[in-house]
Amino acid sequence: MIFRIFLTISAAVYLIILAGCEPKPQPINYGSDGCEYCRMTITEPGFGSQAVNNQGRAYKFDSVECMAAFDLTNENPENIHSKWVPNFLNRDEWVEANKAVYLQSENLRSPMGLSLSAYADRESAEEMRQEHGGEIIGYDQVKQIVEREWLSNGNIGQHTHH
Amino acid sequence: MFAIKKHIILAILFLTPLSSIFAQITVSPEGPISSIKEAVEQAAHGGHVIVKPGTYVEHDIIIDKKLTLEGTDQPTIDGNEEGFIMIITADSVTVSGFNIINTGRSYTKDFAAIMLEKANDFVIENNRLDNVFFGIYLAETERGVVQNNTIQAYDKREASSGNGIHLWNVKNPKISNNHVMGMRDGIYLEFVDDAEITGNISNDNNRYGLHYMFSDGGRYYDNVFRRNGAGVAVMYSDNVDMMNNLFEHNWGSSAYGLLLKDINHSKIEGNRFYRNTVGIYSEGSNHVHIHRNDFELNGWAVNIKSNSMRNRFTENNFIENSFDVRTDSPRNNNEFDGNYWSHYEGYDLEGNGIGDVPYRPVSLFSMIIERQPESLILLRSMFIRLLDTAERIMPVLTPKTLYDENPKMNRIS
Repeated sequence: MIFRIFLTISAAVYLIILAGCEPKPQPINYGSDGCEYCRMTITEPGFGSQAVNNQGRAYKFDSVECMAAFDLTNENPENIHSKWVPNFLNRDEWVEANKAVYLQSENLRSPMGLSLSAYADRESAEEMRQEHGGEIIGYDQVKQIVEREWLSNGNIGQHTHH
Repeated sequence: MFAIKKHIILAILFLTPLSSIFAQITVSPEGPISSIKEAVEQAAHGGHVIVKPGTYVEHDIIIDKKLTLEGTDQPTIDGNEEGFIMIITADSVTVSGFNIINTGRSYTKDFAAIMLEKANDFVIENNRLDNVFFGIYLAETERGVVQNNTIQAYDKREASSGNGIHLWNVKNPKISNNHVMGMRDGIYLEFVDDAEITGNISNDNNRYGLHYMFSDGGRYYDNVFRRNGAGVAVMYSDNVDMMNNLFEHNWGSSAYGLLLKDINHSKIEGNRFYRNTVGIYSEGSNHVHIHRNDFELNGWAVNIKSNSMRNRFTENNFIENSFDVRTDSPRNNNEFDGNYWSHYEGYDLEGNGIGDVPYRPVSLFSMIIERQPESLILLRSMFIRLLDTAERIMPVLTPKTLYDENPKMNRIS
């Protein structure tokens, strides 16, 4: 009996430890952490994103577009556990990049100029679109945009000239 | 009949400038016109609005015609933390001599004290901006002048601070002798062509003192960048000349005196890098000539990534930096020639002022740190000094071709 209780407790403890090891998004130190892709200091919580690897290390980015560029150029993608973007309407909430809904709107300008913001659900993205204009897209399209505007172009920025 | 018509036209031609002189409107707290907005509405095209001392609580003052708006003895416009304070949409507007305080703040709108939108040939001068979200905001403008303004804010959370002088899609701006502090970026440029930025002081901003993004041509010189969160960043831009500036006291894990990211064909000359974590950090930058600068008492004078190529470092002074040069590869694609290195221990038997043995500015230890940052703790150890000396004599890990063939024996003045 005592052995059984011991077993249950140790199983519970083991589970808790396991859960604690699950890689998860880490806090970004705005104003001091640098973007892994473009080296710029990360300052805007509405856009700061991150990719967490299997060891729990977070690669932090100043914008959704920089994370997507990292994602596209990463030579070791199987070691990335998860990718996270902030809910533009609730900056403390991390949304998984593949599940997030994105708005590309000229009127909501992001730190690297591709005007991408992320939302937890389609309804709130739609509300923002009605207010600010633009187009609602998914993460795959975000990657396509970054591929087109930055990577295939060879030079970030020149393409987005207005 | 024709003669009379001619006379009328002549009369109009002569009277027009006169009429605009007489079209001077005075605003004062107790006068018949006590609101700047009202005065601007009444003013004629090309008119002159004089604002007497006092405090005017007004926001979203729209200036949509050629106008001179002038404060006498620094009157205050208080935006009461609502929206923009001034929005200028016409060419040839001058705004001079105001205190402008308390703009609105927003996550989605860039509220500024003075917003210039599709306006050309303006002059914004001698204003003091305090507690503003964005200071002076130039969007799609050409040939504007922003000079002798002071811009200050106090928000330490970057999310609620905007940029001091913000330029987006601008051609040929002149930004001179301004003082910006406590903002996100002191001066920010995005898609700006041929900017001239001179004589400004940008200190204690949350992120960068000066920040170039996608902005080609032009130059910045004689500016001071001090104690900014992350120093100065020049990114994704070509043909930018950076001369005679002071970059000092920029400390932090991602702070640099000057960060160069994807910069091509530019010149860095006559600047002083003093007490920064890294003097110049260079990534993906090519054909940059770094000439006659002083690097003194920095953690690293230069950190140059191997994806930076064909850059030249000539006649610079490297004085008592913890490390002179750091790089991430044993290959070297850059040139170091004729610099003065205070760590140089060689000799000059010919007496021509040039050391007889080359100087290798990348120490073994700095390569070890590149791979194992934690080893920095060993910095002052005897063992490391022995390793460094051995490596200098017989390079194994450090770039074999990264050396200065003509190290100067004396500081270059």
